[in-house]
Amino acid sequence: MSLVEVRELGVVYRRQGVDVHAVVGASLALERGRITGLVGESGCGKSSLARAIVGLVEPAAGEIVFDGKPLSPLRRGARPRHETRLQLVFQNPYSSLNPRRTVGSQIADGLRLRGEGERTDRRTRVGELLDQVGLSGGAAGRFPHQFSGGQRQRIAIARALAADPSVIVLDEPLSSLDASTQAQIANLLVGLTRDLELALLLISHDLAIVRHIADEVSVMYLGTIVEEGPTRELWSSPQHPYTEALIAAIPAADGSGTLPEALPGEVPDPASPPSGCRFHPRCPHAFARCPGEVPPLYALGPDRAAACFLRDPASTQTHEHEGVT
Amino acid sequence: MSLLEVEELRVRIRGERGEVTIVDGVDYTVEEGQVFGVAGESGSGKTISVLALLQLLPRGASTSGRAIYGGRDLLRLSGRALRRVRGRELAMVFQDPLTSLHPMLTIGRQLSEHVRVHEGASKRAALARAAELLAEVRIPDPERALHAFPHQFSGGMRQRVAIAGALATRPKLLIADEPTTALDVTVQAGILRLLDRLRRESGLAVILITHDLGVMSSIADHVSIFYAGRIVESGPTKELLSTPRHPYTRALLDALPHPVDDGRADLLAIPGLPPSPRSRPAGCAFHPRCAYAIDASRVQAPPLVTVGAARLLACHVDPFASPS
Ligand SMILES: Nc1ncnc2c1ncn2[C@@H]1O[C@H](COP(=O)(O)OP(=O)(O)OP(=O)(O)O)[C@@H](O)[C@H]1O
Ligand SMILES: Nc1ncnc2c1ncn2[C@@H]1O[C@H](COP(=O)(O)OP(=O)(O)O)[C@@H](O)[C@H]1O
Ligand code: SF4
Ligand code: SF4
Ligand SMILES: [Mg+2]
Ligand SMILES: [Mg+2]
Repeated sequence: MSLVEVRELGVVYRRQGVDVHAVVGASLALERGRITGLVGESGCGKSSLARAIVGLVEPAAGEIVFDGKPLSPLRRGARPRHETRLQLVFQNPYSSLNPRRTVGSQIADGLRLRGEGERTDRRTRVGELLDQVGLSGGAAGRFPHQFSGGQRQRIAIARALAADPSVIVLDEPLSSLDASTQAQIANLLVGLTRDLELALLLISHDLAIVRHIADEVSVMYLGTIVEEGPTRELWSSPQHPYTEALIAAIPAADGSGTLPEALPGEVPDPASPPSGCRFHPRCPHAFARCPGEVPPLYALGPDRAAACFLRDPASTQTHEHEGVT
Repeated sequence: MSLLEVEELRVRIRGERGEVTIVDGVDYTVEEGQVFGVAGESGSGKTISVLALLQLLPRGASTSGRAIYGGRDLLRLSGRALRRVRGRELAMVFQDPLTSLHPMLTIGRQLSEHVRVHEGASKRAALARAAELLAEVRIPDPERALHAFPHQFSGGMRQRVAIAGALATRPKLLIADEPTTALDVTVQAGILRLLDRLRRESGLAVILITHDLGVMSSIADHVSIFYAGRIVESGPTKELLSTPRHPYTRALLDALPHPVDDGRADLLAIPGLPPSPRSRPAGCAFHPRCAYAIDASRVQAPPLVTVGAARLLACHVDPFASPS
């Protein structure tokens, strides 16, 4: 059984009296010692899904099962102890760290939360955590602004680790960093996942890095998961036209001078999503069936699935469109 | 003659703890219709070096060197001449489009006023031109978009509007600082195609700052690599990316997730951190992180010298010289 199972999750916000369905029937599983990537354009609901998993927003539908137990509904006050083992690391490490408190005391918060030990024990543990993320113990006495972007991201990760989590959700942890720093943090994440047997959900619109470090990838479009699969297979043979478009839009650093392919149109407003397949207004393969019916996630093998009528085993369309390319 | 010739550009900024050199003697030329790429780690002085060209540096900054554009030195323009060049012939687009858009004014008002101020057009003509510009950057339904406010657009659309604003006066040179860094790859691809079309159709030259070497590869003709306030290597994009000669360029490329491997190997990060301008190492500023450093690297800064057709390199060792 998976450590975290997200089942048919829905997240709804109210905006000026209108319901905005930010996440619609999304399912996802996270496993110990593995990195799951979640990719998709901005506004597609990645952060909303992340916040629901760590209990920061209440699901409007579906459930989240953590370690065999349904996640308790949100309420005021502390969450049950075992649920602090789900930790979130935010997009911008600077805004999530308190500028006025030392790095050490912020990391110690996580320890205190778990009621861990005496003051001196905590100090030792903070030193260990800093070491684990590749910073020197001297960092504990300094303030966030004294660190570079990459170092702040390490601090945010150390703070999450302080709560002794078994699941870490990282929302765009690398997007503000340059290539070499990204590589350092990416390597750190892989190491921690394997060493501490963490289940990691890595959210990013930077597909290259997800491709490099994720074991499995889920692709999200306008609140729904449209494709999932092991990273290598998903990349070498995308089965959903949206996944294919995302991959084609990545410019390669090969000096070839080829311009990447642009996907026409914008991500629609989730307050008024298109009918049928939500991707149909932008899909180069859309056909008669697409605006009228919602494609389910068709299983395409043990770990692969895609929500596209071209993959419907019951349809003759499948053969005509063999290979989305 | 080149469109822009920058020589010995230096920028110093006076801070609380004295003066520091941010840009330390940079030379380059930009030709008409060329996309001139600038890459390098965060803090290497890319932004400051282009802000200097437009005299948009923060207070306490001093500039030396020359930036010859149309026979005049941009660094020495003032008053009307400066405003004319800055608003009209040289335009700038930033990473965050909101820095160049006013939140309380409609898109139509912002674009048309810009056109009126610089071209003296009538209100009607200016609005028509604004709609034209929006169509040019592929904003759907431009007439309607004129009445919208910036917050009603997505990040990608806002960046296209900011580009439309920059293009309003038909500049000859566009300076774009990380214009697509905050955008989705799908939207980024659209903006790269737009820039490519403009340079082909109207000879627009672009100085493109980006740390994304994929973006560089797809659109830049020429790339300069910055490290600690200097250019350490430059050359035609294709050559530079396929046969990098500077150890730093090499390391930057090695840090990228490889396009064909399946990702189980660790990424090769450059050890250590880029130096801050306050504590730049003596000699070659890269030496504490360089596997090829020799004694000379620690004492003497290598000059940027020609090492092939249109290729420049600043390294005492040149460990990746082609064996010819
Ligand atoms: N107003 C300022 N006062 C003092 N130092 C500054 C100021 N603005 C920038 N700097 C310093 O100048 C150096 C170069 O900054 P610049 O913004 O040009 O870097 P960059 O290469 O554009 O980096 P990034 O990729 O992060 O945008 C940095 O060390 C920065 O801290
Ligand atoms: N607090 C909120 N109130 C109303 N709408 C919201 C709120 N948070 C997010 N949304 C909307 O939900 C959608 C998904 O947002 P988000 O999950 O943040 O996307 P992503 O992380 O992929 O950028 C967007 O359309 C966003 O505008
Ligand atoms: S179901 Fe139709 S519109 Fe949707 S992705 Fe497949 S082909 Fe395109
Ligand atoms: S000059 Fe020396 S330290 Fe600098 S890049 Fe060349 S080999 Fe490395
Ligand atoms: Mg987000
Ligand atoms: Mg910059």
